Amino acid sequence: MNLTIIDYGSGNLRSVENAFSNAITDNNLKCNIRVTSDIHIIANADLLVLPGVGSFPDCRKGLQSIEGLIDVLSEQVLFKKKKFLGICVGMQLMFDFSLEKIRTSGFGWLSGNFNKIKTVGLDYLGRNFKVPHMGWNSLRLEHINHPILKKINEKDQYYFVHSYYLEGNQINQVIASTNYCHQIPAIVGNENYLGVQFHPEKSSLSGQKLISNWLKWRP
Amino acid sequence: MLSTRVIACLDVHNGRTVKGINFVNLKDAGDPVEQANFYSKTGADEICFLDISATYENRKTMFDVISKTAETCFVPLTVGGGVNNLNDFRELLKCGADKVSVNSSAVSNPKIIMDSSDKFGNQCVVLAIDAIENKTMPSGYEVTTHGGRKKTNIDVLNWAVKGVKNGAGEILLTSMTTDGMKTGYNLHLTKLVSENVPVPVIASGGAGNPKDMVDVVLKSGASAVLAASIFHFGIHSILSVKKEMLKNGILVRDCGN
Repeated sequence: MNLTIIDYGSGNLRSVENAFSNAITDNNLKCNIRVTSDIHIIANADLLVLPGVGSFPDCRKGLQSIEGLIDVLSEQVLFKKKKFLGICVGMQLMFDFSLEKIRTSGFGWLSGNFNKIKTVGLDYLGRNFKVPHMGWNSLRLEHINHPILKKINEKDQYYFVHSYYLEGNQINQVIASTNYCHQIPAIVGNENYLGVQFHPEKSSLSGQKLISNWLKWRP
Repeated sequence: MLSTRVIACLDVHNGRTVKGINFVNLKDAGDPVEQANFYSKTGADEICFLDISATYENRKTMFDVISKTAETCFVPLTVGGGVNNLNDFRELLKCGADKVSVNSSAVSNPKIIMDSSDKFGNQCVVLAIDAIENKTMPSGYEVTTHGGRKKTNIDVLNWAVKGVKNGAGEILLTSMTTDGMKTGYNLHLTKLVSENVPVPVIASGGAGNPKDMVDVVLKSGASAVLAASIFHFGIHSILSVKKEMLKNGILVRDCGN
Protein backbone atom coordinates (compact mmCIF):
# COMPACT_ATOMS: atom_id res chain seq x y z
CA MET A 1 0.00 0.00 0.00
CA ASN A 2 1.06 3.56 -0.66
CA LEU A 3 0.03 6.33 1.63
CA THR A 4 0.51 9.87 0.40
CA ILE A 5 0.58 12.87 2.68
CA ILE A 6 -0.14 15.87 0.55
CA ASP A 7 2.42 18.64 0.81
CA TYR A 8 1.08 22.03 -0.22
CA GLY A 9 3.20 24.17 2.03
CA SER A 10 0.93 23.91 5.02
CA GLY A 11 1.86 22.62 8.30
CA ASN A 12 3.21 19.94 10.40
CA LEU A 13 3.91 17.34 7.75
CA ARG A 14 6.71 15.86 9.76
CA SER A 15 4.47 15.20 12.76
CA VAL A 16 1.79 13.67 10.57
CA GLU A 17 4.35 11.43 8.89
CA ASN A 18 5.84 10.38 12.24
CA ALA A 19 2.45 9.51 13.72
CA PHE A 20 1.30 7.48 10.70
CA SER A 21 4.63 5.73 10.46
CA ASN A 22 4.39 4.76 14.12
CA ALA A 23 0.85 3.40 13.69
CA ILE A 24 1.90 1.42 10.59
CA THR A 25 4.76 -0.22 12.50
CA ASP A 26 2.62 -0.91 15.57
CA ASN A 27 -0.01 -2.67 13.50
CA ASN A 28 2.46 -4.61 11.35
CA LEU A 29 0.98 -3.11 8.21
CA LYS A 30 2.76 -3.00 4.88
CA CYS A 31 2.50 0.59 3.82
CA ASN A 32 4.94 3.13 2.40
CA ILE A 33 4.56 6.80 3.18
CA ARG A 34 5.27 9.53 0.66
CA VAL A 35 5.11 13.22 1.47
CA THR A 36 4.67 14.99 -1.83
CA SER A 37 3.07 17.70 -3.92
CA ASP A 38 3.53 15.70 -7.16
CA ILE A 39 0.06 15.16 -8.57
CA HIS A 40 1.14 12.02 -10.45
CA ILE A 41 2.23 10.36 -7.23
CA ILE A 42 -0.95 11.58 -5.57
CA ALA A 43 -3.05 10.11 -8.37
CA ASN A 44 -1.36 6.73 -7.92
CA ALA A 45 -1.56 6.56 -4.14
CA ASP A 46 -3.84 4.08 -2.38
CA LEU A 47 -4.43 6.22 0.68
CA LEU A 48 -4.55 10.01 0.92
CA VAL A 49 -3.98 12.28 3.89
CA LEU A 50 -4.52 16.01 3.69
CA PRO A 51 -3.11 17.89 6.69
CA GLY A 52 -3.71 21.60 7.21
CA VAL A 53 -2.74 24.20 9.73
CA GLY A 54 -3.14 27.96 9.52
CA SER A 55 -6.10 29.76 8.04
CA PHE A 56 -8.62 28.33 5.59
CA PRO A 57 -7.91 30.91 2.85
CA ASP A 58 -4.15 30.34 3.13
CA CYS A 59 -4.55 26.58 2.86
CA ARG A 60 -6.88 26.96 -0.13
CA LYS A 61 -4.32 29.26 -1.74
CA GLY A 62 -1.55 26.74 -1.10
CA LEU A 63 -3.56 23.96 -2.76
CA GLN A 64 -4.43 26.13 -5.72
CA SER A 65 -0.80 27.01 -6.30
CA ILE A 66 -0.20 23.40 -7.32
CA GLU A 67 -1.77 23.08 -10.71
CA GLY A 68 -4.39 20.39 -11.05
CA LEU A 69 -4.13 19.26 -7.42
CA ILE A 70 -7.70 19.99 -6.35
CA ASP A 71 -9.13 18.28 -9.43
CA VAL A 72 -6.94 15.23 -8.94
CA LEU A 73 -7.98 14.99 -5.30
CA SER A 74 -11.69 15.22 -6.10
CA GLU A 75 -11.35 12.64 -8.83
CA GLN A 76 -9.42 10.20 -6.66
CA VAL A 77 -11.75 10.57 -3.70
CA LEU A 78 -15.19 10.93 -5.28
CA PHE A 79 -14.82 8.74 -8.37
CA LYS A 80 -11.92 6.37 -7.71
CA LYS A 81 -13.14 6.05 -4.09
CA LYS A 82 -9.68 6.29 -2.57
CA LYS A 83 -9.56 6.31 1.20
CA PHE A 84 -9.00 9.84 2.41
CA LEU A 85 -8.38 11.59 5.72
CA GLY A 86 -8.51 15.36 6.14
CA ILE A 87 -6.94 16.79 9.28
CA CYS A 88 -7.99 20.12 10.84
CA VAL A 89 -8.11 22.61 7.94
CA GLY A 90 -7.69 19.57 5.68
CA MET A 91 -11.04 18.42 7.07
CA GLN A 92 -12.63 21.86 6.71
CA LEU A 93 -11.66 21.97 3.04
CA MET A 94 -13.93 18.96 2.35
CA PHE A 95 -16.97 21.22 2.84
CA ASP A 96 -18.66 24.01 0.87
CA PHE A 97 -17.00 27.07 2.33
CA SER A 98 -15.53 28.83 5.36
CA LEU A 99 -16.11 32.35 6.62
CA GLU A 100 -12.61 32.64 8.12
CA LYS A 101 -11.23 36.06 7.16
CA ILE A 102 -13.09 36.07 3.83
CA ARG A 103 -15.64 33.66 2.41
CA THR A 104 -13.58 30.95 0.69
CA SER A 105 -14.88 27.84 -0.97
CA GLY A 106 -13.76 24.31 -0.16
CA PHE A 107 -14.03 21.16 -2.30
CA GLY A 108 -17.74 20.76 -1.65
CA TRP A 109 -17.57 16.99 -1.09
CA LEU A 110 -19.75 17.43 1.98
CA SER A 111 -22.33 20.09 2.59
CA GLY A 112 -21.82 22.63 5.31
CA ASN A 113 -19.79 25.70 6.16
CA PHE A 114 -17.45 26.96 8.84
CA ASN A 115 -18.10 29.88 11.14
CA LYS A 116 -16.36 31.33 14.19
CA ILE A 117 -16.86 29.41 17.43
CA LYS A 118 -19.53 31.15 19.47
CA THR A 119 -18.46 31.99 22.99
CA VAL A 120 -21.34 32.86 25.28
CA GLY A 121 -21.26 32.74 29.05
CA LEU A 122 -18.70 31.05 31.25
CA ASP A 123 -17.37 27.51 31.48
CA TYR A 124 -18.03 25.11 34.41
CA LEU A 125 -15.29 26.81 36.45
CA GLY A 126 -16.54 30.32 35.72
CA ARG A 127 -13.84 31.07 33.14
CA ASN A 128 -14.42 32.86 29.86
CA PHE A 129 -14.46 30.62 26.83
CA LYS A 130 -11.28 31.32 24.89
CA VAL A 131 -10.78 31.12 21.14
CA PRO A 132 -8.91 29.24 19.68
CA HIS A 133 -10.53 26.16 21.20
CA MET A 134 -7.13 24.86 22.24
CA GLY A 135 -6.37 21.69 24.14
CA TRP A 136 -7.62 18.19 24.83
CA ASN A 137 -11.30 17.42 24.55
CA SER A 138 -13.37 14.26 24.62
CA LEU A 139 -15.73 12.97 21.95
CA ARG A 140 -19.43 12.25 21.90
CA LEU A 141 -19.82 9.25 19.67
CA GLU A 142 -22.69 9.74 17.23
CA HIS A 143 -22.19 6.79 14.85
CA ILE A 144 -21.09 4.41 17.51
CA ASN A 145 -20.57 1.48 15.12
CA HIS A 146 -18.35 3.30 12.66
CA PRO A 147 -15.01 1.45 12.32
CA ILE A 148 -13.08 4.69 12.91
CA LEU A 149 -14.40 4.68 16.50
CA LYS A 150 -13.31 1.14 17.32
CA LYS A 151 -12.02 0.93 20.92
CA ILE A 152 -12.50 4.68 21.33
CA ASN A 153 -14.68 5.90 24.20
CA GLU A 154 -15.46 9.02 26.22
CA LYS A 155 -12.21 8.66 28.16
CA ASP A 156 -10.18 9.26 25.01
CA GLN A 157 -9.27 12.87 24.44
CA TYR A 158 -8.02 14.59 21.32
CA TYR A 159 -5.94 17.69 20.78
CA PHE A 160 -7.95 20.48 19.20
CA VAL A 161 -6.73 23.86 18.02
CA HIS A 162 -9.16 25.80 15.85
CA SER A 163 -11.33 28.90 15.86
CA TYR A 164 -13.91 27.92 13.24
CA TYR A 165 -16.37 25.05 13.39
CA LEU A 166 -18.80 23.22 11.14
CA GLU A 167 -22.17 24.88 11.43
CA GLY A 168 -25.50 23.19 11.03
CA ASN A 169 -26.75 19.80 11.91
CA GLN A 170 -26.08 17.39 9.09
CA ILE A 171 -26.26 14.57 11.58
CA ASN A 172 -25.75 11.84 9.00
CA GLN A 173 -22.25 13.07 8.19
CA VAL A 174 -21.14 13.71 11.80
CA ILE A 175 -19.54 10.57 13.25
CA ALA A 176 -18.42 12.15 16.54
CA SER A 177 -18.64 15.57 18.07
CA THR A 178 -17.11 17.49 20.93
CA ASN A 179 -18.37 20.19 23.22
CA TYR A 180 -16.88 23.62 23.71
CA CYS A 181 -19.48 26.19 24.66
CA HIS A 182 -21.60 24.40 22.07
CA GLN A 183 -21.60 21.20 20.05
CA ILE A 184 -18.73 21.00 17.53
CA PRO A 185 -18.46 18.26 14.88
CA ALA A 186 -15.16 16.43 15.45
CA ILE A 187 -15.18 13.46 13.04
CA VAL A 188 -17.13 13.78 9.82
CA GLY A 189 -17.33 11.84 6.62
CA ASN A 190 -19.06 9.81 4.04
CA GLU A 191 -18.27 6.52 2.31
CA ASN A 192 -14.50 6.48 1.75
CA TYR A 193 -13.56 9.91 3.06
CA LEU A 194 -13.26 11.13 6.62
CA GLY A 195 -12.18 14.34 8.24
CA VAL A 196 -11.15 15.15 11.80
CA GLN A 197 -11.25 18.62 13.31
CA PHE A 198 -8.60 17.69 15.88
CA HIS A 199 -5.00 16.57 15.44
CA PRO A 200 -4.73 12.78 15.78
CA GLU A 201 -0.98 13.07 15.13
CA LYS A 202 -0.70 15.11 18.34
CA SER A 203 -3.21 13.16 20.41
CA SER A 204 -0.91 10.62 22.03
CA LEU A 205 -2.27 7.07 22.40
CA SER A 206 -5.85 8.08 21.61
CA GLY A 207 -4.60 9.58 18.37
CA GLN A 208 -2.66 6.45 17.53
CA LYS A 209 -5.83 4.41 18.06
CA LEU A 210 -7.74 6.60 15.62
CA ILE A 211 -4.98 6.51 13.00
CA SER A 212 -4.78 2.71 13.32
CA ASN A 213 -8.56 2.47 12.89
CA TRP A 214 -8.38 4.61 9.77
CA LEU A 215 -5.52 2.54 8.32
CA LYS A 216 -7.45 -0.69 8.91
CA TRP A 217 -10.81 0.70 7.82
CA ARG A 218 -12.28 -0.88 4.67
CA PRO A 219 -14.91 1.48 3.37
CA MET B 1 -15.58 19.32 27.83
CA LEU B 2 -12.15 20.84 27.43
CA SER B 3 -9.48 19.64 29.85
CA THR B 4 -7.21 22.07 31.63
CA ARG B 5 -3.71 21.47 30.32
CA VAL B 6 -0.66 20.60 32.38
CA ILE B 7 2.50 21.60 30.53
CA ALA B 8 6.02 20.42 31.35
CA CYS B 9 8.80 22.84 30.51
CA LEU B 10 12.43 22.01 29.77
CA ASP B 11 15.27 24.53 29.61
CA VAL B 12 17.69 23.44 26.93
CA HIS B 13 21.24 24.68 26.44
CA ASN B 14 23.42 23.32 23.67
CA GLY B 15 21.22 20.26 23.28
CA ARG B 16 21.18 19.39 26.97
CA THR B 17 18.65 20.13 29.67
CA VAL B 18 19.89 22.45 32.34
CA LYS B 19 18.57 23.71 35.66
CA GLY B 20 19.01 20.97 38.20
CA ILE B 21 17.27 18.04 36.67
CA ASN B 22 17.08 14.96 38.80
CA PHE B 23 15.01 12.22 37.28
CA VAL B 24 14.74 8.83 38.84
CA ASN B 25 13.89 6.64 35.87
CA LEU B 26 16.08 8.04 33.14
CA LYS B 27 19.42 6.76 31.96
CA ASP B 28 20.64 10.17 30.93
CA ALA B 29 19.20 12.93 33.05
CA GLY B 30 20.38 15.68 30.75
CA ASP B 31 18.84 14.43 27.52
CA PRO B 32 15.82 16.60 26.62
CA VAL B 33 14.51 14.03 24.14
CA GLU B 34 14.39 11.32 26.76
CA GLN B 35 12.82 13.70 29.26
CA ALA B 36 10.17 14.89 26.85
CA ASN B 37 9.24 11.27 26.20
CA PHE B 38 9.12 10.57 29.90
CA TYR B 39 6.79 13.50 30.46
CA SER B 40 4.51 12.67 27.57
CA LYS B 41 4.27 9.03 28.68
CA THR B 42 3.39 10.09 32.21
CA GLY B 43 0.58 12.40 31.15
CA ALA B 44 1.95 15.82 30.15
CA ASP B 45 -0.54 17.48 27.82
CA GLU B 46 2.15 19.52 26.13
CA ILE B 47 5.92 19.88 26.20
CA CYS B 48 7.56 23.26 26.16
CA PHE B 49 11.24 23.62 25.25
CA LEU B 50 12.96 26.81 26.14
CA ASP B 51 16.18 27.22 24.18
CA ILE B 52 18.64 29.23 26.18
CA SER B 53 21.57 28.74 23.80
CA ALA B 54 23.34 31.95 22.95
CA THR B 55 24.95 31.14 19.62
CA TYR B 56 23.66 30.07 16.27
CA GLU B 57 25.82 26.94 16.32
CA ASN B 58 24.21 25.87 19.56
CA ARG B 59 20.79 26.60 18.18
CA LYS B 60 21.28 24.03 15.45
CA THR B 61 21.41 21.33 18.09
CA MET B 62 17.96 22.53 19.19
CA PHE B 63 16.55 21.65 15.78
CA ASP B 64 17.94 18.19 16.32
CA VAL B 65 16.28 17.94 19.74
CA ILE B 66 12.89 18.92 18.27
CA SER B 67 13.20 16.52 15.33
CA LYS B 68 14.10 13.59 17.55
CA THR B 69 11.39 14.40 20.08
CA ALA B 70 8.74 14.73 17.40
CA GLU B 71 9.56 11.25 16.12
CA THR B 72 8.23 9.50 19.19
CA CYS B 73 6.43 12.08 21.26
CA PHE B 74 2.90 12.60 19.95
CA VAL B 75 1.80 15.58 22.02
CA PRO B 76 2.02 19.26 21.08
CA LEU B 77 5.50 20.76 21.28
CA THR B 78 6.13 24.43 21.94
CA VAL B 79 9.57 25.90 21.41
CA GLY B 80 10.78 29.28 22.52
CA GLY B 81 13.96 31.23 23.11
CA GLY B 82 15.95 33.23 20.62
CA VAL B 83 13.31 33.20 17.89
CA ASN B 84 14.10 36.33 15.93
CA ASN B 85 12.56 36.05 12.49
CA LEU B 86 10.26 34.12 10.19
CA ASN B 87 13.07 31.84 9.18
CA ASP B 88 13.52 30.70 12.79
CA PHE B 89 9.77 30.01 12.88
CA ARG B 90 9.88 28.04 9.66
CA GLU B 91 12.88 25.95 10.75
CA LEU B 92 11.34 25.06 14.09
CA LEU B 93 7.95 24.16 12.61
CA LYS B 94 9.66 22.08 9.94
CA CYS B 95 11.44 20.07 12.62
CA GLY B 96 8.12 19.23 14.26
CA ALA B 97 7.36 22.08 16.65
CA ASP B 98 3.65 22.89 16.77
CA LYS B 99 3.91 26.27 18.41
CA VAL B 100 6.68 28.82 18.66
CA SER B 101 6.90 31.35 21.42
CA VAL B 102 8.34 34.82 21.03
CA ASN B 103 9.44 37.04 23.86
CA SER B 104 12.34 39.51 23.60
CA SER B 105 12.16 39.58 19.80
CA ALA B 106 8.51 40.70 19.92
CA VAL B 107 9.55 43.65 22.07
CA SER B 108 12.33 44.75 19.74
CA ASN B 109 10.28 43.93 16.65
CA PRO B 110 6.50 43.84 17.35
CA LYS B 111 5.85 43.10 13.68
CA ILE B 112 7.11 39.56 14.14
CA ILE B 113 3.78 38.57 15.73
CA MET B 114 1.75 39.88 12.84
CA ASP B 115 4.09 38.45 10.21
CA SER B 116 4.37 35.01 11.78
CA SER B 117 0.65 34.66 12.46
CA ASP B 118 -0.11 35.74 8.90
CA LYS B 119 2.33 33.21 7.55
CA PHE B 120 1.79 30.23 9.86
CA GLY B 121 -1.55 30.91 11.55
CA ASN B 122 -2.20 32.36 14.99
CA GLN B 123 -2.58 28.88 16.51
CA CYS B 124 1.18 28.47 16.40
CA VAL B 125 2.22 31.90 17.69
CA VAL B 126 2.62 32.08 21.45
CA LEU B 127 3.42 35.43 23.01
CA ALA B 128 5.61 34.80 26.05
CA ILE B 129 5.53 37.62 28.58
CA ASP B 130 7.95 37.83 31.50
CA ALA B 131 6.31 40.17 33.98
CA ILE B 132 7.64 41.96 37.05
CA GLU B 133 5.69 44.05 39.52
CA ASN B 134 5.95 47.78 38.94
CA LYS B 135 3.45 50.06 40.65
CA THR B 136 4.05 52.90 38.19
CA MET B 137 2.61 50.86 35.31
CA PRO B 138 -1.14 51.13 34.56
CA SER B 139 -1.71 47.43 35.25
CA GLY B 140 0.94 47.27 37.98
CA TYR B 141 3.19 44.99 35.90
CA GLU B 142 6.02 45.68 33.49
CA VAL B 143 7.27 43.53 30.61
CA THR B 144 10.88 42.41 30.91
CA THR B 145 13.17 40.70 28.44
CA HIS B 146 16.38 38.67 28.53
CA GLY B 147 15.20 36.46 31.35
CA GLY B 148 13.90 39.33 33.45
CA ARG B 149 17.16 41.30 33.38
CA LYS B 150 16.03 44.05 31.03
CA LYS B 151 13.11 46.35 31.73
CA THR B 152 11.10 47.67 28.80
CA ASN B 153 8.74 50.29 30.23
CA ILE B 154 5.89 48.39 28.53
CA ASP B 155 2.72 47.65 30.45
CA VAL B 156 1.96 43.91 30.65
CA LEU B 157 -1.78 44.14 30.07
CA ASN B 158 -1.48 46.56 27.15
CA TRP B 159 1.19 44.36 25.66
CA ALA B 160 -0.91 41.21 25.98
CA VAL B 161 -3.98 42.85 24.42
CA LYS B 162 -1.89 44.28 21.60
CA GLY B 163 -0.15 40.95 21.01
CA VAL B 164 -3.47 39.17 20.62
CA LYS B 165 -4.74 41.87 18.25
CA ASN B 166 -1.61 41.32 16.17
CA GLY B 167 -2.26 37.61 15.95
CA ALA B 168 -0.88 35.76 18.98
CA GLY B 169 -3.06 32.71 19.61
CA GLU B 170 -1.98 32.14 23.17
CA ILE B 171 -0.20 33.94 26.02
CA LEU B 172 2.51 32.27 28.09
CA LEU B 173 2.55 34.46 31.17
CA THR B 174 5.48 34.15 33.55
CA SER B 175 5.74 36.04 36.78
CA MET B 176 9.44 36.74 37.17
CA THR B 177 8.84 37.75 40.77
CA THR B 178 7.63 34.29 41.73
CA ASP B 179 9.60 32.24 39.16
CA GLY B 180 11.66 29.54 40.83
CA MET B 181 10.39 30.51 44.30
CA LYS B 182 7.96 27.60 44.59
CA THR B 183 5.58 29.87 46.53
CA GLY B 184 2.72 29.65 44.07
CA TYR B 185 1.80 31.44 40.85
CA ASN B 186 1.06 35.15 40.81
CA LEU B 187 -2.71 34.89 41.05
CA HIS B 188 -3.41 38.60 40.65
CA LEU B 189 -1.32 38.93 37.49
CA THR B 190 -2.75 35.78 35.92
CA LYS B 191 -6.34 36.80 36.63
CA LEU B 192 -5.74 40.28 35.25
CA VAL B 193 -4.44 39.03 31.91
CA SER B 194 -6.71 36.00 31.68
CA GLU B 195 -9.87 38.05 32.10
CA ASN B 196 -8.83 40.64 29.55
CA VAL B 197 -7.63 38.65 26.57
CA PRO B 198 -9.81 36.38 24.40
CA VAL B 199 -7.10 33.72 23.90
CA PRO B 200 -5.89 31.02 26.30
CA VAL B 201 -3.44 32.07 29.02
CA ILE B 202 -0.81 29.66 30.38
CA ALA B 203 0.17 30.40 33.97
CA SER B 204 3.88 30.07 34.65
CA GLY B 205 6.40 30.88 37.36
CA GLY B 206 6.20 29.82 40.96
CA ALA B 207 4.54 26.40 41.12
CA GLY B 208 5.64 24.65 44.30
CA ASN B 209 3.02 21.93 44.62
CA PRO B 210 -0.16 20.62 43.00
CA LYS B 211 -2.32 22.89 45.13
CA ASP B 212 -0.71 25.95 43.51
CA MET B 213 -1.89 24.68 40.14
CA VAL B 214 -5.41 24.20 41.42
CA ASP B 215 -5.39 27.75 42.81
CA VAL B 216 -4.28 29.45 39.62
CA VAL B 217 -7.02 27.69 37.64
CA LEU B 218 -9.82 28.24 40.14
CA LYS B 219 -8.86 31.72 41.36
CA SER B 220 -7.27 33.22 38.25
CA GLY B 221 -8.98 31.41 35.40
CA ALA B 222 -5.80 30.09 33.75
CA SER B 223 -6.42 27.86 30.72
CA ALA B 224 -3.26 25.86 31.35
CA VAL B 225 -0.52 25.52 33.95
CA LEU B 226 3.16 25.22 33.20
CA ALA B 227 5.92 24.07 35.51
CA ALA B 228 9.53 23.03 35.27
CA SER B 229 11.38 22.40 38.48
CA ILE B 230 8.64 20.74 40.52
CA PHE B 231 8.47 17.95 37.96
CA HIS B 232 12.20 17.66 37.41
CA PHE B 233 13.00 16.60 40.93
CA GLY B 234 10.42 13.87 40.95
CA ILE B 235 8.78 15.29 44.08
CA HIS B 236 5.58 15.93 42.20
CA SER B 237 4.55 14.07 39.09
CA ILE B 238 2.15 15.07 36.36
CA LEU B 239 -0.12 12.39 37.80
CA SER B 240 -0.13 13.87 41.31
CA VAL B 241 -0.89 17.31 39.89
CA LYS B 242 -3.76 15.96 37.82
CA LYS B 243 -5.13 13.99 40.74
CA GLU B 244 -5.21 17.14 42.85
CA MET B 245 -6.86 19.09 40.05
CA LEU B 246 -9.51 16.42 39.54
CA LYS B 247 -10.19 16.32 43.29
CA ASN B 248 -10.94 20.02 43.06
CA GLY B 249 -13.34 19.67 40.18
CA ILE B 250 -10.95 20.61 37.37
CA LEU B 251 -11.26 18.33 34.35
CA VAL B 252 -7.98 16.88 33.14
CA ARG B 253 -6.92 14.35 30.54
CA ASP B 254 -6.40 10.82 31.83
CA CYS B 255 -2.65 10.15 32.17
CA GLY B 256 -3.03 6.67 30.66
CA ASN B 257 -4.34 7.86 27.31
